[in-house]
Amino acid sequence: MARESHPRVDVTPKPRAASADPAPSTSRRSIKTPGSSQARGVQRPQGLSASGRKPPPLVATPHARAALRAIDSRRAAIFTPHRARRQSLREARETPRDFLLPLGRVLARNTNTINSSSSPRDQKTPGSGGGDADGDTIMEEDEYDDEDDDLPKRPRLSLPIDADDDDSDLQPHRSAGLEDDNLTARSIELPRRAFSEQPGSRYSLASMRMSDYFNGNDVPPSEEVGIDSGFFPPRNAIDQDTLDLGAGDISAYERLDSDVGRRDTAQFSDFEIEVPVNMNEDTFMIAPQAQESPTHEAPGLHEPVDESEALDAQSDDDNGVPEPELAEEASDAGSEAAVEAFAKSDAQRSTKKRAIKVSKYGIECPSLPPAVVKRLAQTFAKTSGAKGKITPDALKVIMQASDWFFEQLGDDLQAYAKHAGRKTIEESDMLTIMKRQRQTNPHTTPFALAQRHLPRELLQELRMTPPAPLKRRRKAGGGNEDEEIT
Amino acid sequence: MAPGQKLYPRATVKKIVKAHSNCNVSKNVDVLIFLDYALFMQTLMKEATIEAKQGGERGITARGVRKVTADSLAKFKG
Repeated sequence: MARESHPRVDVTPKPRAASADPAPSTSRRSIKTPGSSQARGVQRPQGLSASGRKPPPLVATPHARAALRAIDSRRAAIFTPHRARRQSLREARETPRDFLLPLGRVLARNTNTINSSSSPRDQKTPGSGGGDADGDTIMEEDEYDDEDDDLPKRPRLSLPIDADDDDSDLQPHRSAGLEDDNLTARSIELPRRAFSEQPGSRYSLASMRMSDYFNGNDVPPSEEVGIDSGFFPPRNAIDQDTLDLGAGDISAYERLDSDVGRRDTAQFSDFEIEVPVNMNEDTFMIAPQAQESPTHEAPGLHEPVDESEALDAQSDDDNGVPEPELAEEASDAGSEAAVEAFAKSDAQRSTKKRAIKVSKYGIECPSLPPAVVKRLAQTFAKTSGAKGKITPDALKVIMQASDWFFEQLGDDLQAYAKHAGRKTIEESDMLTIMKRQRQTNPHTTPFALAQRHLPRELLQELRMTPPAPLKRRRKAGGGNEDEEIT
Repeated sequence: MAPGQKLYPRATVKKIVKAHSNCNVSKNVDVLIFLDYALFMQTLMKEATIEAKQGGERGITARGVRKVTADSLAKFKG
């Protein structure tokens, strides 16, 4: 359209000169005038005198006509489905084929057409295509041209046919839903372990454990699930067998490979020796002592105690009847004792809110006092810019996280110490761990970290007693220890 | 931290680690352990804050902390 207007401008220079007299500067008018004078000579004088004020429908300059046409075509493109749009693009679409088709005729005289299995047009393209390649391609082209008008959309040739027809088929990548999770931290650096290391000696290495208890964490009522499933005898048996006795009915062993049992151990707070709620004490490893010696009454408390402890107690109360039965099934040895113990532990649990946790070695371990955790969390939250206080819920979760942290740390420290052939965890182990955690590096000494994060008293403690590991660190970093220490 | 306040229960930390590792804990390791714990806490809080900001919540919520716990713990795996 612009091409149309230009020759007119060239052809009629005179009216342009005439119209250019009043306002020669604007190029817009210089374009307008010649075309309009050619198209409608009657209107032109008025347009000359007051060219700017003319309403566009009256002044049918080529410019205006072009604009109208553009508007019309746009409207048509809007209101009619893809066909019109497609046809407008048709020449652009067909050009590569126009080039390529003769080329193909020249180059590939005796090749067969390729039947692509993915295209739905398979039935239309002639499958045989033997020597008559030319005829085939021509036929094909004709078909395509016909279908261009019939089909609403014509896929591009470069793509698998019909692939671009409906964009709704373009599924988002399956990681798209995960984006809100903070996956980067995990994806940066995951420790790799040999499979032989996986299952067990170091607790923190078992990745299934991590994932499991985080699942359990994400779904808060998982403890309830555990409780519920505890009603079923086989699971109960599994728990007991895997955990302590290791001897049970075969049906339990059959399901050992399924991760039900493992999930059981993992889903509760993984600190304690896992005793399902319904478990009676006499099959529990520590429990036999518990019935003889009064000093070991604690095992009654060692049952899974989480944040949902109140829930525990509640559900226990609800299901007081089936549990003794399960106990009988699991072990016939001392069911009445079990009932007794259960009642006792239940009472204890209801009275005592914070129960004692037990590590997997059966050693009773406290958790950090919430006040300390809260203070620490508060200060760090403030430094990281969080507003507001830490809610009790959040504190609970933080407490659990710190419990897990200590458990993980304990396992790692134990592994390091064992590897060094010691029975004692030393500073070097801790320093190694911190190095491996990428907390310390040649630029960040543990002492600098300590200076940043620990209060002065602890700093003194750290400095006075263990000079050896510090020196070892310095050697790696180089040079002067005293200056950095003080 | 308030000056008069107890910094942290050293004996408790020691006990915890001892229970989990089934090893003896030498004399001043607990300071380092606590340091590590503090670093962990810092990471956790930072992540939780970021999470809260992303989720449009104000302050640290239990949900946010729960969400970032896994990552933070994985970061602190020795």
